[in-house]
Amino acid sequence: MLNILTFSRVPSLASSTVLPVLGGIAVAGLLWSFFEPESAATLLVWTPYLARGFAMNILISICAIALGSLVGLILGALELSPRALIRFPALVYVQIFRNAPHLVLIFATTYIFPFEILVAGLRIPFPDWIKATIGLAIPASAHIAEIVRGAVQSIPTAQWEAAAGMGFSRSQTLRWIILPQCIKRVLPPWMNLYASISMGTALASLVGVNELLHAATDASTAVQRTDFTVAVYLTVLVWFFVYCYPVARFTQNLERRFAVR
Amino acid sequence: MLDSILAGFVTYTKSLGFNFGFLTSVYERTIWIDGISMTLILIAVTIPVSLVGGGLLAAALTSGRKYLSVPARVFVELTRNTPTLVQLMCAFLVVNMLISKALGGAQYNPFSPFFWVVAVVGLHIAAFHAEALRAGIESVPSATLEAARAIGFNRLQILWFVEFPLALRAALPAIVNNLVNLAKLTTVGSAIAVGEVTYASIMIWSQRDNVIELMIVILLLFSLINLLIARTGRWLENKLKVPGLGI
Repeated sequence: MLNILTFSRVPSLASSTVLPVLGGIAVAGLLWSFFEPESAATLLVWTPYLARGFAMNILISICAIALGSLVGLILGALELSPRALIRFPALVYVQIFRNAPHLVLIFATTYIFPFEILVAGLRIPFPDWIKATIGLAIPASAHIAEIVRGAVQSIPTAQWEAAAGMGFSRSQTLRWIILPQCIKRVLPPWMNLYASISMGTALASLVGVNELLHAATDASTAVQRTDFTVAVYLTVLVWFFVYCYPVARFTQNLERRFAVR
Repeated sequence: MLDSILAGFVTYTKSLGFNFGFLTSVYERTIWIDGISMTLILIAVTIPVSLVGGGLLAAALTSGRKYLSVPARVFVELTRNTPTLVQLMCAFLVVNMLISKALGGAQYNPFSPFFWVVAVVGLHIAAFHAEALRAGIESVPSATLEAARAIGFNRLQILWFVEFPLALRAALPAIVNNLVNLAKLTTVGSAIAVGEVTYASIMIWSQRDNVIELMIVILLLFSLINLLIARTGRWLENKLKVPGLGI
């Protein structure tokens, strides 16, 4: 019985409000294109260009969360070190970059890093989108370090002792008892962070990365029509919403499912 | 006096390898100091806007009346799941432009970029406040509400005298966290030429190529502001603590 109850709470996209909301947006879009066929046609012409921009947003967000997770895991482990000499620099890094505005870090990486690197006589270009990725990965790593530290510390130490009492070795305890609980606690805030980074990718437009918002500005400047400007910026808003809203709902479902019962 | 202190500082930091030469130029120094004060003003103005907005949204969300709660829910979800910069561009380039058109020209438009930054960032954070307050309001025990109804409080009085004070205590850590994000978000103002510290720094470093120096100052400034917000929040938490409530 308990199993059935748990199973019915398995998060799924279809069971939540995601599909009705996305359906509503699609219907509104179709209705608008029916009443404003001319604007809709222009928007359709520009859609591939906008889509290429949005692909850049997704690329930046995935690279930034991957890099941030890797560095953040290491930093989180350093924060838990019993040696103050190791712990202290990690704590300072986390404090400073958790409090730093994303936009400022993106500006910093864009202006500080060179536009190409010289490796063994080879000129390797260092494009702006990678700089923006690093700018977003820095605060992400600081947040992930805190998430990891909090998760490991939230597992009561008595569990280690209890596991040892039941004959688990230390690595078995970590593998079978501590880490599964950590993953449960880490996953929801990690996904929230991913949504936040995805939205942060729009900031890259300010340093000239050709992502969705930048593409929309290009399109609106090229077409020079009020109705199209309105439509194209609303499209940007809707695309980001369509990408981030399911992630947010899925995270809420996960949180509910992982909540201590 | 001031000039000699600044000159000494510039020479000293130069020996450490930093270029703070802009401090000796009155023009650049003024831009920069104005930028810092603009950031502080922006934060000081936006915090009350976000708190009032968050309170109103939370009241609408928990009102139990569909015509209030559904629009509030739509607004909260839309705001939480779209980038602030895109919202700012929609507000400034679309809404502001439409207002200008309706009034017959940009010169008749009373809304400045400053207004749009305060409105967009304030309402963005208000949506996050609203979610925190809603959770707090919903966690008020039903016995407390019954007691309030029994002594003759109406719906609004219960909200204002019973639910809000308790919800505020429960939501305070989340609200402080949101205010830290608010301080960081005010930097998007630089995108529409509000002269806050990022904007001023860009103007200076594009002339002097001293990005690292200004970046250190910006990071320290925001660390300081956010430390102040976090400390004030903790002080409030202790001050508002109700003994025995368990919050």
